[in-house]
Amino acid sequence: MKPAPFRYARPHTLADAVELLSAGDTDVKILAGGQSLVPMLNLRLLRPAVVVDLNGVPGLDRIAPDPAGGLTIGALVRHAELMAAPLVVERAPLLAEAARHIGHPAIRHRGTLGGSLAHADPAAELPAALVALDARFVLQGRKGTRTVLATEFFQGLLTTALGPDEILVEVQVPRQGPGWGFAEVVRRSGDFALAGVIAVVRGKPGPAVRCDFARLVGFGVGDRPVRFRAAEDILTSEHAELSIARAAAAVTCDPPDDVHASADYRRHLARVLAEDVLGQALERSGARRRP
Amino acid sequence: MIEPAERLAIRFTVNGREVAREVTARRSLADFLREDLMLTGTHVGCEHGVCGACTVLVEGRSARSCLLFAVQLDGATVTTIEGLTPPEGLSPLQQAFCHTHAMQCGFCTPGMIVVTTELLEKNPAPTTDEIRESLAGQLCMCTGYVNIVRAVEQAAATARNATGEAA
Amino acid sequence: MSGPWVGAALPLKEDVRLVAGRGRFIDDLGWPGMLHAAVLRSPHAHARIRSIDAGQAFACPGVTAVLTGADAARLSGPIRPLIPTTAAVPDYCLAVDVVRYVGEPVAAVAAADRATAEDALELIRVEYEPLPAVVDPHEAMRPGATLLYPELGTNVVWHDTLSYGDVDGAMARAHGVLRERFTIQRYASTPLETFGAMAAYDPGTDGFEFWTNDQRPGLTISILAASLGVPQSRLRLSCPDIGGAFGNKRRPAYLLICALLSRIAGRPVKWIEDRVENLTALMHACNGVMDVELAYQADGTLLALSVRDVADEGKNLLTPTQHNLIKLGNIANGYRIPAIRYEAWSVLTNKCPSGANRGIGKPFMCFAVERSMAILARRLGLDPAELRLRNYVTAAEMPYTTPPGAQYDSGDYPATLHTALERFDYAGWRAEQSRARQEGRLLGIGIATSVEPAGTNLASYELVTGRRSVSGSAEAAMVRMEPDGNVRVAIGDPASGQGYETVIAQIVADELGLAPEAVSVARGFDSAVSPWLYLSGNYSNKFSVTDVGAIVGAARLVADKLRRLAGHRLEIAPGDLDLRDGAVVVRGAPDRRVAFVELCRTAYADVLGLPPGEAPGLEAHHAYQNPLAAPVDADRRVRSQLVFSNAAHCCLVEVHPRTGVVTVLKYVVVHDCGRELNPLIVEGMVHGSTVHGIGAALLEEFRYDGQGQLLTATFLDYLKPTATDVPEIEVDRLEHPSPFTALGAKGVGEGGAIPGPAAVANAVEDALAAFGVTVRELPITPEHVWRWIARDKNP
Repeated sequence: MKPAPFRYARPHTLADAVELLSAGDTDVKILAGGQSLVPMLNLRLLRPAVVVDLNGVPGLDRIAPDPAGGLTIGALVRHAELMAAPLVVERAPLLAEAARHIGHPAIRHRGTLGGSLAHADPAAELPAALVALDARFVLQGRKGTRTVLATEFFQGLLTTALGPDEILVEVQVPRQGPGWGFAEVVRRSGDFALAGVIAVVRGKPGPAVRCDFARLVGFGVGDRPVRFRAAEDILTSEHAELSIARAAAAVTCDPPDDVHASADYRRHLARVLAEDVLGQALERSGARRRP
Repeated sequence: MIEPAERLAIRFTVNGREVAREVTARRSLADFLREDLMLTGTHVGCEHGVCGACTVLVEGRSARSCLLFAVQLDGATVTTIEGLTPPEGLSPLQQAFCHTHAMQCGFCTPGMIVVTTELLEKNPAPTTDEIRESLAGQLCMCTGYVNIVRAVEQAAATARNATGEAA
Repeated sequence: MSGPWVGAALPLKEDVRLVAGRGRFIDDLGWPGMLHAAVLRSPHAHARIRSIDAGQAFACPGVTAVLTGADAARLSGPIRPLIPTTAAVPDYCLAVDVVRYVGEPVAAVAAADRATAEDALELIRVEYEPLPAVVDPHEAMRPGATLLYPELGTNVVWHDTLSYGDVDGAMARAHGVLRERFTIQRYASTPLETFGAMAAYDPGTDGFEFWTNDQRPGLTISILAASLGVPQSRLRLSCPDIGGAFGNKRRPAYLLICALLSRIAGRPVKWIEDRVENLTALMHACNGVMDVELAYQADGTLLALSVRDVADEGKNLLTPTQHNLIKLGNIANGYRIPAIRYEAWSVLTNKCPSGANRGIGKPFMCFAVERSMAILARRLGLDPAELRLRNYVTAAEMPYTTPPGAQYDSGDYPATLHTALERFDYAGWRAEQSRARQEGRLLGIGIATSVEPAGTNLASYELVTGRRSVSGSAEAAMVRMEPDGNVRVAIGDPASGQGYETVIAQIVADELGLAPEAVSVARGFDSAVSPWLYLSGNYSNKFSVTDVGAIVGAARLVADKLRRLAGHRLEIAPGDLDLRDGAVVVRGAPDRRVAFVELCRTAYADVLGLPPGEAPGLEAHHAYQNPLAAPVDADRRVRSQLVFSNAAHCCLVEVHPRTGVVTVLKYVVVHDCGRELNPLIVEGMVHGSTVHGIGAALLEEFRYDGQGQLLTATFLDYLKPTATDVPEIEVDRLEHPSPFTALGAKGVGEGGAIPGPAAVANAVEDALAAFGVTVRELPITPEHVWRWIARDKNP
């Protein structure tokens, strides 16, 4: 399976990359890690006229701390780096965990954070993780830079807020507290998840276990990362006794039916995994006393 | 401002030797290695990045050559199975593969050697689970993986004995 | 003849080149001026081709030749089937007038490179008139169903009932009759190297040369010659290293496409299948449904087995009914069952053609029988091992002929099972299972045993066609001691990972008193050089039964000649001479010897020194058929396969009840393939074939929608087991040599693929015992498990 013909450019600056995206109205695709794009090119599911290789643009692969305790991660940071970088492990361990579940080493050596986010596969781990972390994405286009909340970035199946002339260049991640959980069900390790859930919570200390911050996000259970808001409300409700089971039962979603799993089964997994990750998160945050 | 082109000149290092060619943009690294450089040890099994047969080392790290275009490698360093095989004989890891019969048809083997070479460089004393984990992206249809795991364990043990380290 | 080499776990010669990436596979080869082909395929499961306009493709720069179905029908003859249908249905290398499965080749292009050829395909305009597609075999069997071939009048290529013994009587007097329906999915072994072909037409000789990784060159050459209209003597076909085959690598149509393109273009043409083409259009094992009725006594003794077997062949006009026939031949699965009835349907549907995937129907047959045994054991309150032990054919009864005619030659089935249970620590894990249940963990133990046949007697096809046109099983070998005293061997069977270059060297080394280093086995196959027959090739585990016979025969002819030449020189009777360490030696007087190189000098150079009546040279050809092959008898019994290995599988799984995920924790195989020619090769086969079985049980499935579109056409959707999906396969062995093969060896290639699915299914069912689940279908996906558990909670 060989791709349809295309022209290739490898700009040396971000400005040039943006320029290439905006030139005329030819179909242009960004090549970052290529682990999602190239199979589609090989299968001729995509036939861009121009492929712009971002790997020649310096400065997009930095991981840096921010003064508020979070970090900024360049779009070209490879999954392998995300898994292992001490700053990520320390300040956003959820991201390191999510990256661990992506493919295999050879995939992780090339696949990039920005590529995964821009591709926006609804069953991917990183988009959901960044929604759960309330991250912000920095987009660069012809008209300049803008920042978009992760929750607003993912707009539908393989669809994001990126304009045709925009490149995702950086992800800003707030400092992550200790309370987080990650679980997914896969047919084989490294595969896309049938369903997965991520929890990020901050527990309020006290006799009754309660959270003042809760994000519960599913992946593989919709056309984009799905926030289980009803469940989050139960967790943060002032008047409710915390109940993981009740929160999990309140998880609702409209998952796809496909060759790997039915909607019903995915819906069931979402609830089961929600329970699991909430348990993990509360244990990690120390807000839950072990029996 | 760079003008996108359908054919480009590239220059990079393969197995320690510099190559310079003009290639079409859509030519995969796998096809380039196999057909332009006659390095047919790297095999193509799926062209969608799943089977791992095409795995080579790019800048010393394993990568799917079916998911890279040759034009992307300008200025880079690539190592294939031919580069992991000594001029005379076989590497200790390759010898272990022969000793445990860690292949049958041999089609997946170059990719297996690439990833297990990488594993042992990073982790000279891997557990069985770590070995299996490192192989999880490489499909083998013949061996059921048992002897491949044995080969890696044997190679690791041999290396440790050779350096006098405790097992 | 026993020597030091057969039976030794010798590391493989071929591994040395393979581990360095120095194998030579079809895509590594080329000819000067070679073009690359791409194939245009049908997007419809069933449609009439109204028109094809390839003009724009032909005009594409870099394109040299284009071939359509109309061209193929004009330039070549139909492909001759191995098992013909009742009415002749012409089938060409490209679809003519009608397409009958998604992915069916419709046109082909030869161009400067594969990418250009694929570009050109997009310029071919085909006008299709879609027809209703028949996708389910039961639908296809209904009167009034859309027919793939109206001229056949039906989609049922074969329907027959074969009855042995009084099945109805047994059912009537039985204590009980178990009735179950089992369903199996389409799957395939999918060798990592895809199929490929190279063809070069030589206008000077009006002949063709081919390179291909086709695993049945004998049959393929015959088909090519007939279709191309040239005598076989003007064809040359060679096989290089083959990257796995497992029965999948056979499709003469692709060689014909390359041949015709080459003749049109005047240049060699290569075509390499890509993975999507492979998964969509090469071949799948039949999916199907088996209805089992098992009559039993109160103590579990089996009285009769009656099976209705629907095999979904897709669009297979080359070898339909093969799955049915192989199931029939093996259906007793090692048990003593006095009466057997087998009603078969071989059904065409608008799907990928079926083929002889590893096991050819036996995995399904074993699934049905072993699942029935597990269910019966539960019904009778018997331990599943105990039920089997009560019904095995014992070693004392062998050779034992089953009602359909299969002859079990040797083996101790009870001992195999006992050994497996011990190695597995069955009692220990049963205890652990109870303990784990207290913690809410669901462990399950599954047992499955099977016979594994070797060699195929094609006379069984007479059961379908009503006449004998092919029969038996044969192979040819050539052994040649060269002028320098080293030995060269060639056979008509191309290796695809079985280690022939090593094991054959071991066999010949023993016969000739040499070291294996001195014996060189030709790689692959070359019709101009390798000895071969129509029946030559790699299929049905035939190596140990047939190839070995040919090799030993040829080696002994050379050994005999060496003794005669030496005897003449030493004036000793040949019967008093041994072959040892590269010389002929007088028995009891080891210093009286003649080195082989000396005898070679006489045989090749100094030929005046030959004994009277002795021809020059030290080369022998031997063609061999195993004497167990016999025609179908008057009662429709036939030895469709020749000798029988056997195995017992014990499998431990954990089922996670909340998600349905199944993990295989432990897997033990005890097998008996008679004399192990090279234990390293044998054990590797057991590992690999067992993992095929686990993959079929838990992961692999070709799924179609209602319109015949394949939904699983890449490795992203068609899931193969990886190193983290399977545990170590622990192997132990018994050795009961076959009395009926040259060296006592029996088959081992299909091995674990046969009982594997049953063992895993039995283990899952055992884990879900509390939920009353019966596993009747494959694959076992987490979702299926979840639904089975949920059904129990809300019946």
